[in-house]
Amino acid sequence: MSVTKIGTMFGDVVNGLFKKPATNLYPFERREAPERLRGHVVWDASLCTGCGLCAKDCPSNALDMIVLDRKAKRFVMRYRLDQCTYCAQCATSCRQGAISLAYDQWELAALTRESFLSIYGDPDDIAEALAAEAGEQTDEA
Amino acid sequence: MTELNPIIALMFFPGGIFVMLLGLLYVWINRKLRARLQNRVGPRWFQPIADLFKLLSKEEIIPEDANPTLFVVLPVLALAGVLTAALYVPILGMKAVHSVPGDLIITVYLLSLVTMCIGLAGANSTGRFSLVGVTRTLTQLFSYEAPFLLALLSPAIMAGTWQISEIVDYAGGRWLMFTHPISFIIAIVALMGKLEMPPFDAPEAETEIVGGALTEYNGRGLALFKLSHAAEMVIGFALVTALFMGGTTNPLLWAVQTLVLLLVVTLIEVLMARMRIDQTVGLWWRYGSVLAIVQIIVLVVWQRIVL
Amino acid sequence: MNNGNGNKIANKFVVPIGPQHPALKEPEHFEFTVDGETVIDATARLGYAHRGIEKTAESRTFVQTLYMMERVCGICSHVHATAFSLCVEKLAEVEAPPRAQAIRVLVAELERIHSHLLWLGVGAHEAGFDALFMYSWRDREVVMDILEALTGNRVNYSANVLGGVKCDVTDAIRDQILTGIDYLEERTHHYYDVVTTDAAFLQRTRGVGTMTKEQAMRLGVVGPTARGSGVEQDLRVDAPYAAYDIFRVNRVVEQGGDLEARFIVRVKELFESYRIIREVLDNLPEGELTARMPRRIKEGEAITRVEAPRGELFYYVRSNGTDMPDRVKVRTPTIPNMASVLHLAIGHQLADVPMILAGIDPCFSCNDRSVRLKSAGGDDVWTWEKLRKYGIDYYND
Repeated sequence: MSVTKIGTMFGDVVNGLFKKPATNLYPFERREAPERLRGHVVWDASLCTGCGLCAKDCPSNALDMIVLDRKAKRFVMRYRLDQCTYCAQCATSCRQGAISLAYDQWELAALTRESFLSIYGDPDDIAEALAAEAGEQTDEA
Repeated sequence: MTELNPIIALMFFPGGIFVMLLGLLYVWINRKLRARLQNRVGPRWFQPIADLFKLLSKEEIIPEDANPTLFVVLPVLALAGVLTAALYVPILGMKAVHSVPGDLIITVYLLSLVTMCIGLAGANSTGRFSLVGVTRTLTQLFSYEAPFLLALLSPAIMAGTWQISEIVDYAGGRWLMFTHPISFIIAIVALMGKLEMPPFDAPEAETEIVGGALTEYNGRGLALFKLSHAAEMVIGFALVTALFMGGTTNPLLWAVQTLVLLLVVTLIEVLMARMRIDQTVGLWWRYGSVLAIVQIIVLVVWQRIVL
Repeated sequence: MNNGNGNKIANKFVVPIGPQHPALKEPEHFEFTVDGETVIDATARLGYAHRGIEKTAESRTFVQTLYMMERVCGICSHVHATAFSLCVEKLAEVEAPPRAQAIRVLVAELERIHSHLLWLGVGAHEAGFDALFMYSWRDREVVMDILEALTGNRVNYSANVLGGVKCDVTDAIRDQILTGIDYLEERTHHYYDVVTTDAAFLQRTRGVGTMTKEQAMRLGVVGPTARGSGVEQDLRVDAPYAAYDIFRVNRVVEQGGDLEARFIVRVKELFESYRIIREVLDNLPEGELTARMPRRIKEGEAITRVEAPRGELFYYVRSNGTDMPDRVKVRTPTIPNMASVLHLAIGHQLADVPMILAGIDPCFSCNDRSVRLKSAGGDDVWTWEKLRKYGIDYYND
């Protein structure tokens, strides 16, 4: 019904011999990440109102919002990047734009589990929040 | 060079270690060329050697239902066959180490010994994929062997002898591929079949039967089979070069000739899809044998009547 | 019925393909009974990639379930998310704005291109044609870069939210898409040539796995597999959803019925996708990207059908007035197509089986569903606890 040829990929194959290989030699060559790339979660505390929608909407429970004082705007945010699926639902849910996903932090591999937990906030607030949580646990135990 | 001590010739040069190392080099060139033709980077120069060392350092696991003696002995037999064949073929521009009447048949038989060892090894493994692979290997052996022999026969008939060194003398520096074109092409394509390179790699089709006859092989046995495959590549190219491209005495020219053959074979390998085993058999028995016989008849007629 | 060396009953022989096999990209178990090289029987055992995603939907809110449904499959993730969003929007009686629907169509067509190029490479690899495999996957990188610039990820795009989309099309992205599409169209012309004229490749695809139109309709195959046999069924034309009533699609149908026809259908669908993308980019409606969605969805049930790259994808969602769905049911296109493989493989050579399997474009992670176990004298439906205990006891024996 139609003509059949032998070796139809001949042009491609011979050209491929003289072109630079299509392989990207990572880690010696790193490509630019596009600006919309969904990387590590970044929290801007000044814009946050403590509504907690980001933590509620996260599909994998990677975000934890601890509210110490809503009026004084003292919040602590706990982020587990090994549970995060990088879907950006938190960024969409936040009406103040306090959460975004950094496009230049995408090489996130590490050797220890502990480095995957990030706690954001004022250092005193963090200490107070963690103490309160430890207290609750000893109460329950 | 019959002055060379035969043990040295068998173990080190030009047989033995030299042919194995040259084979590994050819395997690397084949893989690198194939990668570059597919627009990829390809392995570095020591990759085949590294693969060999890795395999030799692994534990050899013998399947429960296999005969352990056969399992261990067959790879050694295959390698021994190829290295013996190296004694009769002119390598690197020097004359063959040994030369006996009828050594063309001996060389071709020794090369088939490798394929039969692979077949026996697969049958011994008693795995399902191995058995399907064995059927395909032996079917392919029976299909390309006759045209291969017929193709190599045409210079032999013209020279009137079965001895490789005498055929080379008969050629006397002339390139027989121009007067025996069809046989030359059939010899190259049949060599691809013997080496199980695409499009004739149905016996070891990775997407259908995992590894073919050698599925259950690992460790030292697999390393020896791979080495014999590499050496077979060198011997095959050397044989075709000796018969069809004038027995050369210049090592550099010999290297260039075999590398050109390797380039042509790799190009064909990249361009074609795999053929099913029944299509392979159909191709060889319908076209391969017929064309080879036609070539021989033409040459005999030319020699008797015209000359 | 097999011992370690293969059961030989009067020359019959069972060859297992999977769960670990170089022919399969994902684990499934097929058993082909061969006589020499001819297949005489075929059975399948599915369930190796089952993750219980429909079950997780019952304990998560609608917003969270969207992302669960997206991860049913890697390559068709956007159509799963689109189908789920359309279903929930139907339940809440909210209409996504026209710009959002158009962007949904744009990403869906880009995903179709991605999926078909991937499949072309995989089909070529099963035939032993590695050059076509490497080159088509190299060109697939172009469409993956476009998707990364537009949505932020190369696979699992997460472009949808309930009520609209998250990502907008700027001028720079528009130019990148158009340049990429031009390059891909040129390459697709070349691949069309290869698929229809290469002698070695045609030997593997012409006349293999032939399915007549009656067989196709009886077995219930969907998608390009059915369109290769003359069945005129394309949900984007028959039941338009999202913005497909504005951006019209032409059906691509071939009459051959064999593997070659399926290859041709998918390559021609690539051309159709390029045309639709250009049309969408030229006529993108203005407006906002999302509509306001309530947190608690009204009681009710809704279904949607969308055209995934592999065929008809069917979603059923039932809500009970809270913010968590009551039941989500997914029927993916690979399940009906899988039955046709078992039927078609009989009578073919063993070497044709991976090609026939690749011809339906299988997506095994989509098609795993849970099975009801009928145990003697036990309950009809097992609870989670009972299943868990069964698993623990099974391995302790």
